[in-house]
Amino acid sequence: MRSFKHHNVYSLEEAFTLLRDYKSRARLIAGGTDLLGTLKNDIRLEYPEALINIKTIPDLNGIKEDNEGLKIGALTRLIHIVRSSVIEGKYGLLKEAAGSVGTPEIRNMGTIGGNLCQDTRCWYYRYPNQMGGRILCFRKGEGPCHAIKGDNRYHAIMGGKGCYAVCPSDIAIALTALDAELSVAHKGGERVLPITDFYQTLGHILKPDEILTKIRIPQPPDNAAQAFLKYRLRESVDFSIVSVASVITMKDGICKDTRIVLGAVAPTPFRALAAEESIRGKTLDATTAEAAAEAAVSIAKPLSMNAYKIEITKTLVKRALLSSLA
Amino acid sequence: MSKEYRFIGKRTPRKDALEIVTGKATYIGDIKKPELLYGKILRSPYPHAEITRIKTDKSEALHGVAAVLTYKNVPDWRTGIPRHVPVLDRKVRFVGDAVAIVAAETAEIASEALDLIEVEYEQLPPVYDVEEAIEPDAPQLHADFPRNLMPLDIPTFGPKTLSEVVMGDVEKGFDEADVIAEGTYGYENIANPLPIEPPGVIARWEDENRLTVWSGTQCASWHRFIMQSKMGFPDIRAIDTQCGGSFGSKNYAPLPLFYAAALAKVTGRPVKVCFTKEEHFGAFVLRLGSRFRGKIGIKKDGTVTAVSGVWFVDTGAFSDMAQAQVAVGCGEAQLMLRCPNWDLRTRLVCTNRSASGVVRGFGGQELESALSPILTMAMEKASLDPVEFFKKNYVKPGEGYFWREGNYWVSRGRDYSEAIDSGARAFGWNEKWKGWLKPTAVNGAKRTGVGVGIHGNADVGEDESEAYVRLNPDATATIYVNISESGMGQRSSLCKMAAEVLQLPLARIHITPADTMVNPFEFGLVGSRGTYAVGSAVIEAAEDARQKLLELAAPKLEAAPEDLETRDGSIYRKERPEAGISWSGAMGIMRTCMGFGRFEPDYSVPNFLIQFVEVEVDTETGRVDLRQVLSATDVGQIIDPLSLEGQLHGALGSAGIDTALFEESILDRTTGHMLNINMIDYKWRTFLELPRFENVILETPLPTHRFKAIGVGEIATSPGPGAVLMAVSNALGVKVSEYPLTPDKILRALGKTGRGKTV
Amino acid sequence: MSSMKEEDREKIAFTVNGVSYELEVGNQPYQIAPSHTLAHTLRETLGLTGTKVGCDQGACGSCTVLMDGDPVLSCMTLTVECHGRSIITIEGLQDRQTGKLNPLQQAFIDNTAFQCGFCTPGMIMAAKSLLEKNPTPNKQDVKEALAGHYCRCISHYHVVEAVLEAAKKGR
Repeated sequence: MRSFKHHNVYSLEEAFTLLRDYKSRARLIAGGTDLLGTLKNDIRLEYPEALINIKTIPDLNGIKEDNEGLKIGALTRLIHIVRSSVIEGKYGLLKEAAGSVGTPEIRNMGTIGGNLCQDTRCWYYRYPNQMGGRILCFRKGEGPCHAIKGDNRYHAIMGGKGCYAVCPSDIAIALTALDAELSVAHKGGERVLPITDFYQTLGHILKPDEILTKIRIPQPPDNAAQAFLKYRLRESVDFSIVSVASVITMKDGICKDTRIVLGAVAPTPFRALAAEESIRGKTLDATTAEAAAEAAVSIAKPLSMNAYKIEITKTLVKRALLSSLA
Repeated sequence: MSKEYRFIGKRTPRKDALEIVTGKATYIGDIKKPELLYGKILRSPYPHAEITRIKTDKSEALHGVAAVLTYKNVPDWRTGIPRHVPVLDRKVRFVGDAVAIVAAETAEIASEALDLIEVEYEQLPPVYDVEEAIEPDAPQLHADFPRNLMPLDIPTFGPKTLSEVVMGDVEKGFDEADVIAEGTYGYENIANPLPIEPPGVIARWEDENRLTVWSGTQCASWHRFIMQSKMGFPDIRAIDTQCGGSFGSKNYAPLPLFYAAALAKVTGRPVKVCFTKEEHFGAFVLRLGSRFRGKIGIKKDGTVTAVSGVWFVDTGAFSDMAQAQVAVGCGEAQLMLRCPNWDLRTRLVCTNRSASGVVRGFGGQELESALSPILTMAMEKASLDPVEFFKKNYVKPGEGYFWREGNYWVSRGRDYSEAIDSGARAFGWNEKWKGWLKPTAVNGAKRTGVGVGIHGNADVGEDESEAYVRLNPDATATIYVNISESGMGQRSSLCKMAAEVLQLPLARIHITPADTMVNPFEFGLVGSRGTYAVGSAVIEAAEDARQKLLELAAPKLEAAPEDLETRDGSIYRKERPEAGISWSGAMGIMRTCMGFGRFEPDYSVPNFLIQFVEVEVDTETGRVDLRQVLSATDVGQIIDPLSLEGQLHGALGSAGIDTALFEESILDRTTGHMLNINMIDYKWRTFLELPRFENVILETPLPTHRFKAIGVGEIATSPGPGAVLMAVSNALGVKVSEYPLTPDKILRALGKTGRGKTV
Repeated sequence: MSSMKEEDREKIAFTVNGVSYELEVGNQPYQIAPSHTLAHTLRETLGLTGTKVGCDQGACGSCTVLMDGDPVLSCMTLTVECHGRSIITIEGLQDRQTGKLNPLQQAFIDNTAFQCGFCTPGMIMAAKSLLEKNPTPNKQDVKEALAGHYCRCISHYHVVEAVLEAAKKGR
């Protein structure tokens, strides 16, 4: 890698001070499994002058449950989320999603905050500089989106606008289904926002002087059935081609409420509101599940090579819903 | 079955096992030399361009940079077949092609220096499609090769190099056919064999003419005997480290060698060039692209009456050994399809993408995979069981074929019918095969199907090998054979052969490091030749040395040499084992016994593999799971059971069976970039996708050498892709013939997805 | 920018296979640059070349070492962030005095659970961690623990056998 300075910080204050001093020329490093890859391949026009290590800030990791729900520090490593007995069961969706990330070694190193903030995997965006020059594109602020006319098999089938790269985080999908909120700290304060406000087309909305500190998940409703389905070519290493997370509460055979979230089909986690609408108040069976699945993809506008994702999305929505009958 | 041997056929630990499991095995990346410089390469942003201006002074001025070279000042060496690839060219022919090279004190400084080289290009139109490239108005990649057609001769194969299969009368053959199948099909994944270790070379000039090269390659001698002629005949000493996988692609590393040697020459210091993984993906060896346009005629009883067509072979930006693969592909097609009437022509074509090179399967896998859909079409029309078809048509002993050097060979090999039947039985083929385009089972959205493929190669006896075996007074033996270790375990297996001849414990057999200064000529470990060809040389050398030892012992034991035996370092009259003398007693302590062995090429013993596969398709998602693989073969005599199993399992690796499922290099034809040049987007099989895998290995002695064995490692990958197409077609009830069968293709075959449109 | 200096380490101290190292941060050949990965430091600075770099992208597992007992990718770890850590590499598995092999190493030898051997050190480290946390794994447990390990020769089947055998023979 090209060189950079490295600073350990021991408080959020220190981090904010350094971020201010370096202006936009410093990057935060947590687990590093995404950041270091982008630096090695030198994919962006700007290369950081310094890395600010926030792993040394105490109290930013940990899993705590109270009557309101779950609080998870952003620096909590994925392996601890997978192993947590607190998360298992009631928040099982999160365990499934975290357990599906990458490989065991990556889960030992990566943090939940880092996973939520990770950069997209679009292969034009990620093209390594050493192999003939990095590719400039709409997302980088210079150039067109190459996926539109190029190979877009893994790109968005809905919600694309200027950029068609998908949100790579399946934990974001699970947290959206669990109605999570994120705490974002800045110098002198903190704001809380629903996870649905955390992403826009070009990635997360953190300003350069903000740090994601906590994830809060409200207590799920009693007897809520959770499902997480991840479609990819291999059961390890791969990011999703399509993923679905759902929480569904049934009463007397009728769907009382549901949240259905689609992953890897849009630049942000996609709440399939039409699908939720379609199944709310109805009995859950093969026909209603099928209808919900159709509704989920009704607004899909595929590109030249990714229409197949529509069928897979429908299947996953249907199977996620029907799994709650089991 | 086979004789009871002491070492042959027995499970024995590999000689290098201890080094490997303790981390002491040394690969090229682990080696340093005093005053070592690190070389890096600047790469082209365009698929086809002329360099109009290149300035290196800023780069040269960077502290720590020792040299910067461009096309203007590199030595006039040329590699490739024919010799058309310079160290650096004024033209670039693929995104990622080399533009300039830098040597610096550290790899980081060298990389930094690349950014300081100023280059201007004049872009030229690129061409990517193999048939478009030979159109009269196509962009020309090489001035010497109009219409991008490469010559098909290869000097080492001689003047009659096989570049087509033409015999008999195809018109008559098609008239006689009951069924004709015709079409154009491609196997154009240009997959990457992708050994885990990227290629690397250290070069050091000892003086103006003597060059020492260290690298981890599959053929330890090629950096000497092939590269000498490309570089004006310096005296090259090639030393091999352990090699982290090759599968043909690291038989040698001509361009890394060129870069390291050119920088070493100009700096007067040793230079190490180790490719990054990105370079390994985007600027090193890919499989040839293959397209077959033609037809096949068969009779209802499975007799093949005519094969005609054109085989288009795409070698990318230049040709390195493509001609050899065309030749062997043409040979292997004849092994597989017994047919008196052929008109199969070939075209070897350059296109604007990273060049192909040698990959396991060596042309035969490429031709066969492109032929497979036409063959299966014919079999289906005639309602033939494919196993019976393959059994009928694989070359039998006494039948002949033209091999790669153009000579006609008559097979002395085996009738592999028993292996085929054993495999079919073990797989349960008769129960699982329900007929063409019929699933084996349907379970909701999941459909199961089976398929089969075969492959064989007469290269098991290719090329020349020499070996010495030296017997030492302390009853140890040293084998001199220029073999590196790239995964086959052959260094160890050769020790077993010598141990068996000399009846010495394995621990007392040593094998020299792979070093062309020390060892006699050895072609290399390719085409499964290690067991037969190299083995023969080593066995002969061991027997020669043993004979000399017994001749020394004979007068001391008052017997003739033929009445003597040696075991565990004791030499004795056969009838009096208790009254023996030691080796030092026979030869004295200030002497050794040296034996020599040599193998001459023999293309008369084809090997064979049949592979059965079972897949399960989820028709609602397009996912294909490979559930079971069964390979069956006859190797004559197993030398090392675990090494053999490992080689057969290798079907799941090195751009093998998974080229039918998800392995491909994805070339964006709008920009020329290869998009999946990383370990996440290039798909490979993980521990979580292991199918049930069985090997049925018969041992019926073959007319090869003392142990009657042949190898099969190289052909393990070839039958798979065609077999998977067949299995998926059967599962779906719809014929699919495109590689790889990713979900979009499956869903499209099922009519479950429309195409989107560009936004 | 004065707040930076007192927090920046000038020396990084860690142990590798029980041996203590204290390395200076800096840009000289014998120092650790902030951009050096642990894989680089182990191999180039400390000469422990048993840990291999297959991809340098964190996607093949060859560079796996144990960090405070957990398998991590040394090519995606910055050495400057290893202060106070205890690292075990493949070189640390044998008994230093007697040379006696770890049961995993012996099982890999007995099952020829390798072909080219390049992925082997990383796999053995991951398997060692598995057996320490789960002394009685089944086949699926082994496969899941090694799910991030690339082996192109396809020694997977023999590797699974070897790990199960090592588990049986005890640690």
